[in-house]
Amino acid sequence: MSNPVAAPSLRAAFARLRPAGVVALVVVLAILVAAVWPGLIAPGDPLAIAPTDALAPPSLAHLFGTDESGRDIFTRVVHGTAPSVGIGLAATGIGIGAGLVLGFASGLGPKALDAALGRVIEVLFALPTLVMALLLVAVMGPGTGAAVLAIGAATAPGYARILRARVRAVAGSGYVEYARLEGTRRTRVFLRHIAPNTLWPLVGVATLGIGQAIVWVSALSFLGFGTLPPSPEWGAMLNAGRVYISTAWWMTIFPGLAIVVTATALTVLGRTAAGGGRR
Amino acid sequence: MRIARWALARIGSALLVVWVVTTIVFFALRASGDPLEAILGGPGSQAGEEAVAVARETYGLDQPLLWQYLLLLGRVGTLQLGDSYARRQPVIDLIAAQLPSTLLLATLALALAWALALCGAIIARTSRGPAGRAVTASLRGAEIVATVMPQFWLGAVLILVFASTLGVLPATSSGADPAGLVLPVVTLAIPIAGFLAQIMRDSLAEADAAPFAVTARARGASDTRLLLHHTLRHASLPALALSGWAYGSLLSGAVVVETLFARPGLGRLLIDGAMQRDVPLVIGAVVVVALVYVVVLVIGDALELLVDPRLRRRTRTIVRQADVAVGA
Amino acid sequence: MHRALFTPRGRILSVLAVGTAAALALAACAAPDAPAAQDGGTLVYASGDAEPTCLDPHVGGNYPQALISTQYLEPLVGRDADGEITPWLATDWTVSDDGLTWDFTLRDDVTFTDGTPLDADAVKVNIEHLQNPDTGSSTGYLAVAKVAEVEAVDATHARFHLSAPDSALLESLSQQWTAIESPAGIARGTDENCAAPIGTGPFLVDEWVPQQQVTLVRNDDYNTPDAGTENDGPAHLNTIEWRFIPDAATRWAALQSGEVNVIDNPQPDAIVAAEQSDDIAHIDAPRPGSSNRIELNSGQAPFDDVRVREAFIRAADPEPGIESLYLGTVTRSTSPLASTEPVAISDDALFETDAAAAAALLDEAGWTEDASGVRSKDGKPLTVRFPVSTNQSVAAEQSLFEQIQANAAAVGFDVVLTPMDLSSWYGALGANEYEAVSAPYTKVGPDVLRILYHSDGIVPAPSGYFANHAQLSDPALDALLDAASATSDADERADLYAQAQEIILASYTVLPLYDQQNHFLTRGVTGVRTLGTVATPTFVDARLDG
Repeated sequence: MSNPVAAPSLRAAFARLRPAGVVALVVVLAILVAAVWPGLIAPGDPLAIAPTDALAPPSLAHLFGTDESGRDIFTRVVHGTAPSVGIGLAATGIGIGAGLVLGFASGLGPKALDAALGRVIEVLFALPTLVMALLLVAVMGPGTGAAVLAIGAATAPGYARILRARVRAVAGSGYVEYARLEGTRRTRVFLRHIAPNTLWPLVGVATLGIGQAIVWVSALSFLGFGTLPPSPEWGAMLNAGRVYISTAWWMTIFPGLAIVVTATALTVLGRTAAGGGRR
Repeated sequence: MRIARWALARIGSALLVVWVVTTIVFFALRASGDPLEAILGGPGSQAGEEAVAVARETYGLDQPLLWQYLLLLGRVGTLQLGDSYARRQPVIDLIAAQLPSTLLLATLALALAWALALCGAIIARTSRGPAGRAVTASLRGAEIVATVMPQFWLGAVLILVFASTLGVLPATSSGADPAGLVLPVVTLAIPIAGFLAQIMRDSLAEADAAPFAVTARARGASDTRLLLHHTLRHASLPALALSGWAYGSLLSGAVVVETLFARPGLGRLLIDGAMQRDVPLVIGAVVVVALVYVVVLVIGDALELLVDPRLRRRTRTIVRQADVAVGA
Repeated sequence: MHRALFTPRGRILSVLAVGTAAALALAACAAPDAPAAQDGGTLVYASGDAEPTCLDPHVGGNYPQALISTQYLEPLVGRDADGEITPWLATDWTVSDDGLTWDFTLRDDVTFTDGTPLDADAVKVNIEHLQNPDTGSSTGYLAVAKVAEVEAVDATHARFHLSAPDSALLESLSQQWTAIESPAGIARGTDENCAAPIGTGPFLVDEWVPQQQVTLVRNDDYNTPDAGTENDGPAHLNTIEWRFIPDAATRWAALQSGEVNVIDNPQPDAIVAAEQSDDIAHIDAPRPGSSNRIELNSGQAPFDDVRVREAFIRAADPEPGIESLYLGTVTRSTSPLASTEPVAISDDALFETDAAAAAALLDEAGWTEDASGVRSKDGKPLTVRFPVSTNQSVAAEQSLFEQIQANAAAVGFDVVLTPMDLSSWYGALGANEYEAVSAPYTKVGPDVLRILYHSDGIVPAPSGYFANHAQLSDPALDALLDAASATSDADERADLYAQAQEIILASYTVLPLYDQQNHFLTRGVTGVRTLGTVATPTFVDARLDG
């Protein structure tokens, strides 16, 4: 990325948002509401079965139709926001956490450590996410926890890579050197200068990452390593709906749309907030 | 001299990959509880006594930890990947049989992704006026959606439309039958196409504003001529640099696509292995995928050399874009 | 200065562009394969079951192996639609009065496809192969567990010496897992025999490309059709391509588009569509043995209390779910045995849904309602762990379990459904980490009740696996099952098994759902029928449409 600048204020970030960014922000806020208070948007019970009403197409009574057990899909999609986004958040959290450790250790540490860690990070970054996730699942056994851990571990190198580059750029910049020459303590230099300048751009990448993580976890669900039923997690709903795709397309289309819309909104938001201008 | 350094660097990469994968596996095996259980196929695998004895011997499970680690390293490094627990066949044989199918899929997908990305970038570049802006905006949107769309969803929808409803393309396929390759390749290519298109559009815009382009236009070169002779070549550089990484991502996607379209390949092997907790097979598959990635990087480097004469003349390194979507 | 499109980059790009365009054009022009003419041709079978790791059903012994081995291996005896044992490789049999000696007369005109003749020695080698621990047989081994020794009296007479009377011997010998292979084939060793077992069947294994297909070619010297076959010579088809497509939607799409001729494990909506369509036929052939049922672990809390078990069964209410999920292709069963067993009895009254009664029973048993809706007793919640093996349950069945989960939750049960791979599932069962489980068991004949509900079945095998998941330990039941196994009088046997089933049902450890579903959909082929033994399809009479 470009030269390090002073940590931009929130206001400046908002000023950079274009119409697309504003729409994305609104969508993300709506998703947050759905995650925290689903009952507000969909007051029904996502687990309530009604076998006589199974596989009903979208109508006024059931906006997104019903599934094979008669459960309302709209309610399930809305209530599924929390587990789906939550899993994406958890995986991203793990990824960022590990990425922070690796990135800072590499960027701020002695040159030898940086060289060694740098190469390792490059290699890890190269290994395809799903393949690494499957490796971990094969060894540790299936389950939501393992899936989240696997995706988190597989995405950590990506964050570490970006962080490392930023940290090196910032740590080598003029004003940091000046601060050190002035006699400011190392920890203070870190907290006042290095951390804000390196972490702020990570926010943009992280929002991108949450969207990606949601898609990855849903892929694992599709492959059979996902959440427990009857949880309305989107990936699991997609997987279940695929069986009925020729007779009940609504079971697949709507959860899929939820994933795409969420990930797109997060991506657009991430790009406009962090990158500004060109994209 | 330069070639020697470059070759050494690549071999170093390959070795590093093997080392990293082995270390991860080692720790994962330890962390999962009983490594013996994991090696033999999980808690309910009902392994015979002989199999247990063989596993103990091969993995040195009675030896100190460091020795076990070195043993594993040595075996993986020399590609002695052992026998698949579930299939009782050498892992190498199983992988060698399935690898070509996956490589075919991934390569075709990369080619298609490039073609789509180029078209997208060129259309965006040559669109003018309000209609042109609308086209560019919708292309931008399509790119983003393409990168986040779950591949199994896309694939299922394509099967529904083209195989079940219209019946013009088959839902399953194997080998190199062209009709059977269309749907899997398209499903695999779309996310990468979106990603490459974004990269290309940006670098095309950048190249357009560069001094040489301005000069050429000032000297009367037409837009198309400028495009074809000069800017496109510059614009494809970053995309070419990232194609290696993109290929790795395609291998990831192949796991999903092969399962969905019932195609034989490394992805299916990996899934079956993970399902059956067949650790030797999964380790082998992951190592091979990593090595394929290294080979692709080599090819990518060679292509870059071909396209960018500057690399041949000087010893500077091109700065790669660090700001890439996280994860492969 | 001008290098036009002949720059290296330009060349590469133009080749790529042309190549892609060409590929897409080819795809547009390509059409699916046209079906072959009347006699001959290749039939394509797509199975949704897991690909076997060994094509020899003596090793291990699961249903996918039975499906494919039906084409190249045959058992000693067969079974007709009424459940009567019929001659096949063996033409006649007698049993001694004490039930310990069985004499089988074999056909004298049969050779295996490698030229080895079928004789009593071959039968002896086969039984020994099953009993040999090195073979690793699970199903076949149990089936011939009471056979102490096989004596080859002469070329066409084999004498079985039993360690105890076994009224189920004929039924056990009619299964694919005890089918007869060439002794020379067995002598090649496990690896070779797993890749291509040699038998007497209408086809033989030509090639196996793992994860892709098994190619079977016609046996031109075939002369051993079973009682139900019309064709008494070699099959009409030239080859069978046996493919594995685990994904149900893809498999169905493949049948619709004409890529394959026969599929198994179709989803209910596919079955309904097939029945309404003119060019897709439907074969319904329930698997023998137990019905598809949920078993409650009576060996530990909370289901060690019969009232809690009854409460669960009264609350489960699977019928609306069965009707809506299976779209009328499945009928509710209240018997522990499959409907293909003539001696099966059922009892609808025991399984009537009554949520109020369920709640009352739980109150009586001391489980009080909590604020969260889950009942508890002495501080422990009413949790029911229900591991589900994704390999063995189709999507509709998993949805049915979810509905039962919801219905049970309404009276205070906390049912935890955990989809698992087969290995973890076996692990959970072996470690007793379950309160409810659905474990289908395919076996010909009512002797399956002994395997599933005799107290011997609680004792784990060295591998940790045990079959009596209900953990029923009832001396009266044991006595009935032992007696039924010993007697050779058909009426007495039927009566004993009827009594046994009544005890089993009344114990409320079993919630029967329906027959083990076994549907096949065919397109472009006629003459496909299923065996009366293990309900697998045989293609001896099959002809492709012109």
